[in-house]
Amino acid sequence: MDIRVIGLGNVLMGDDGFGPFVIETLLAEYDFAESVSVIDAGTPGLDLAPFLIGADAVIVIDSVRADAPPGTQRLYRHDAILAHPPQPRLGPHDPGLKQTLLALEFAGRGPTDVVLVGVVPKTVAPSARLSSVVRGAVPAVVNACVAELDRLGAPPRRRPAPAVVAPWWTADASLPAL
Amino acid sequence: MAKITIDPVTRIEGHLRVDAQIDGGHVTKAWSSGQMFRGIERILQGRDPREAWLFTQRFCGVCTTVHAIASVRAVENALGLEVPLNAQYIRNLIVAAHAMHDHIVHFYHLSALDWVDVVSALKADPAKTSQLAESLSPWKHNSKSELKGVQDRLKAFVEAGQLGPFTNGYWGHPAMKLPPEVNLLAVSHYLQALEYQQKVNKIVAILGGKTPNIQNLAVGGVANAINLDNDQTLNMPKLFAIKEALDEVSSFIQQVYFVDVCAVAAMYPDWLGYGKGVTNYLSVPDLPLDTKGTKFDFPGGTIMNADLKTVREIKAFDEPYFRENVSESIAHAWYDGDWSRHPWDEDTEPKYSTFDDKGKYSWVKAPRFQGKPMQVGPLAQVLVGVALGHEPTVRWATKTLETAGAVAQMKLGPEVLHSTLGRHAARMIRTNVIAELAQKHWTLLAENIGKGDVTSFNKPTFPAGEQRGFGFHEAPRGTLSHWIVIRDAKIHNYQAVVPSTWNAGPRDEKDQPGPYEASLVGNPVADAEQPLELLRTIHSFDPCLACAVHTSDIEGKEIARVKVL
Repeated sequence: MDIRVIGLGNVLMGDDGFGPFVIETLLAEYDFAESVSVIDAGTPGLDLAPFLIGADAVIVIDSVRADAPPGTQRLYRHDAILAHPPQPRLGPHDPGLKQTLLALEFAGRGPTDVVLVGVVPKTVAPSARLSSVVRGAVPAVVNACVAELDRLGAPPRRRPAPAVVAPWWTADASLPAL
Repeated sequence: MAKITIDPVTRIEGHLRVDAQIDGGHVTKAWSSGQMFRGIERILQGRDPREAWLFTQRFCGVCTTVHAIASVRAVENALGLEVPLNAQYIRNLIVAAHAMHDHIVHFYHLSALDWVDVVSALKADPAKTSQLAESLSPWKHNSKSELKGVQDRLKAFVEAGQLGPFTNGYWGHPAMKLPPEVNLLAVSHYLQALEYQQKVNKIVAILGGKTPNIQNLAVGGVANAINLDNDQTLNMPKLFAIKEALDEVSSFIQQVYFVDVCAVAAMYPDWLGYGKGVTNYLSVPDLPLDTKGTKFDFPGGTIMNADLKTVREIKAFDEPYFRENVSESIAHAWYDGDWSRHPWDEDTEPKYSTFDDKGKYSWVKAPRFQGKPMQVGPLAQVLVGVALGHEPTVRWATKTLETAGAVAQMKLGPEVLHSTLGRHAARMIRTNVIAELAQKHWTLLAENIGKGDVTSFNKPTFPAGEQRGFGFHEAPRGTLSHWIVIRDAKIHNYQAVVPSTWNAGPRDEKDQPGPYEASLVGNPVADAEQPLELLRTIHSFDPCLACAVHTSDIEGKEIARVKVL
């Protein structure tokens, strides 16, 4: 079974960086089975396809737009994600998750088990940090990802001494001094 | 008279908005507006210049590596730092692979459906489609049974009451002209392109460590350790895996992409007449062949007023002709003030007001070269290449015009390239040239390592005081430049002048329209409610303003895309 855990979002746009932040947290705190790839995919538009192609199951972590207060967690599965047709597009890079899943499904190469775990953002504006309410939603979303991997038969192992979660983009300077 | 607004701004991201005035079935005036503040450069102030590239490659999720490359070149330029040959070749292979990937995705997945009527493919005869395809190309996947399989799959989708990825297309629009067989062929290649997208992506992953955000760059070179006998470093098996992927992707580009673009161009000859717009062109040289950045495999330069004889070459990473002639105007952009400045002297102070087509109406600044708007992108790359006699570019351009002309049964000269479909043709021509040069740079890398050179990094040192640098890269969408001011080893100012800014920018202080705005004038619009023709011209530039953030909208309902006033 080929499982991909994919964080989406822009780490330079405040709460939009939620997906990549959760990926960093997962990598700091857990060890994963060989069948599981954990990927920070940024904001790839349709370039998401190479990360989904041929996978059996995909767990996507993203900020989500919903009529709920910032920090609210939402979980959607395959059919709900594809229930509404994709949005109309003007820029050719608009297509995102839905469009990519549909294209791969049409090609017969799409994952059948898809879950999207997300939170409603508070602030999406140039900044390399999450707002405190969205930062506070990270542990619950990490647990949700772990539960999904459990369901898929590939539970990650919590590290006895987890690394500190310190994504490079949140640090003031990440390279050692010369 | 009608005024059309195409505005998907109702999503959180904020995107490109286009307004067009229609008179007598044609566009008479147009406005292009970036709907999202791009002040990301400000995050860089005060940081270590060596890590600027990590941040800049997050500017955009699609154009990741290009911002990384331009950034390290800007810092290297500020320091006068040379880059070892191995590092140049490794970067060049990443650049080439990224560009091939990007162009394949653009044509098949992001713009072909402006020309291809998917529903019409159901009416095609797979046997005839296969005969037609095999008369045009030796491609191995054009058999009757494969094409029948694609058609059956499409039929199943339509019978289930959905069109999958093709929902919301303009099916049955009067501007759709391809015969059912060509439509079926295009749908089949759409599916195959997904596989080649993945193959070419592997090259970037092998060299860059990861995609989409590579990890192997460094100011002064690359972080790839080279040791042919070590499993963990760049070695022979990895080099051969790259070669294999290059071979496969090259076949697809030569035997499929080339043929499909020639066929579409031949069957929509009107669109070799629409969409010209700004005919000043700018491209910069790329694929450096030496450590100093003075010899290149891609030429760069400027052309003014569509006259190839005006070509002036840009010869080096340190070229004063480029450095001294770039400016940006905020006369019609939502920033505080009314200036036109050199990138080193700019600031980015947002001051939003409403959309005012006579005043400020975009978040995008208006870049200018010697005060003139310039079109950038594959068309500029190809025209500058032809004007300077760049052999592979001349060869592929000639072959394209001959092949499309033969299918259309008309004589096509280089002048038809200044058009909507000319931009698609140029992108395909460029992709073929890139595919050839990628093979060359693979050989250069393998030979240089074979000689015993394993150097891949020169360590940068930052003197006290101020240094100014600029780095350019001829990215898939055109000329990208990063401009940096360093003070006491920290970033003092940073500006990125990106390809879509050159093309999508608003009017300037002299009210000269940008390339998108100019290219729409004269476009026909058969049905103002379904302005497919405007999308064709805008898509031909491969705009990329939209991808700076990503928020999934699962619960959102269909939102009206077009407003006709």
